[in-house]
Amino acid sequence: MNPVSELKRGIWTENAVLKLGLGLCPALATSSSVENGIGMGVAATFVLICSNVVISAMRKIIPSKVRIPAFIVIIASFVTVVDLVMAGFLPDLHKALGIFIPLIVVNCIILGRAEAYASKNAVLSSAVDGIVMGIGFTVALVAIASVREILGNGSFFGINILGSGFIPMLLMILPPGAFLAIAFLLAGMNQVSAEK
Amino acid sequence: MKEISRLALILTLITAGSALLLAMVEKATREPIAQQRRLVTLGALKAVLPPANNSPDQDTVSLVTGKDSKGNDEQTTFYRGRKDGAVSGVAFRVVAPDGYSGSIAVMVGIEPNGQVSGVAILQHAETPGLGALIEGESWKNQFKGKSLDNADWRVKKDGGHFDQITAATISPRAVVGAIRKGLEFYKANKDQIIGG
Repeated sequence: MNPVSELKRGIWTENAVLKLGLGLCPALATSSSVENGIGMGVAATFVLICSNVVISAMRKIIPSKVRIPAFIVIIASFVTVVDLVMAGFLPDLHKALGIFIPLIVVNCIILGRAEAYASKNAVLSSAVDGIVMGIGFTVALVAIASVREILGNGSFFGINILGSGFIPMLLMILPPGAFLAIAFLLAGMNQVSAEK
Repeated sequence: MKEISRLALILTLITAGSALLLAMVEKATREPIAQQRRLVTLGALKAVLPPANNSPDQDTVSLVTGKDSKGNDEQTTFYRGRKDGAVSGVAFRVVAPDGYSGSIAVMVGIEPNGQVSGVAILQHAETPGLGALIEGESWKNQFKGKSLDNADWRVKKDGGHFDQITAATISPRAVVGAIRKGLEFYKANKDQIIGG
């Protein structure tokens, strides 16, 4: 297991959002600013790592007939932990992400990794899988959010970079802008992959 | 039968473990979350009340202000700011049910003579860049010093005194209407609110 190739797998070749098309709903909804994108990415990564580790550690005692309810219970517990901790210590981010924190439970990236990877592999490699997949999700969110925030608000990470003469394209921070940004990102990535 | 009881036992153990984890996290975050809620309320109270040197969130009176959709009484909490013992202002939450996307919750501060001392938007889901401009300082400041006697509580487009926002009349109209209702309630129940 080579960390560099694992990282490349998470960010590029098997990027959950941009290559596999998983977790599109939170990726579209919480990418209106870079700050929200990072917050969502970190929250989902935390849940992903924890659930991968626990599920992998318990993979021999969870009977395959009840594995899905068992996975969901484990994932939901970690999501609730994130929800409570964020409400207590990062109230602004918690308010901005709102309903999308509890909805990490049904983020198909997390259940997908549990089913496809953690339930079949050892604890350490499941943890690495959680980390790289989480980084890939965060990178995808930040990429979408950068496009949307720069065009839609003239700022990056809340800092105005395009000056007051720039008239923001409001559409980009509204829901349609998420679809436009992700469509162009996907097209660009497919172009780069095709050229290789 | 043996198989199903084994499945049930394992699922029960997993859920019990999750419950234990959640109970511990809930206990650890209960205080910080309550503290954050209190800070949010206090921040809004400080923004809308005239200078006070008590803790307005400790000096409250609750009155029935209406009926909800099920016909139950709806309570509103009135927070009293005091300067050296005398009531310097009263703040309370009004809800505009007719925002462009959902309800808008507003904290209104009123001086004892019925003039608005400040307005803060607590919660809304209006369109970013349009309806959401109701959060802007210059828009909120137009309410300062206005009362039922010296202003017509409608937006200018409807013949009143208050600025609407270009391309977003619905949100300002909802907020102005909600504040007017709040002022009317205050006027009718002033003795109970200040004296109680």
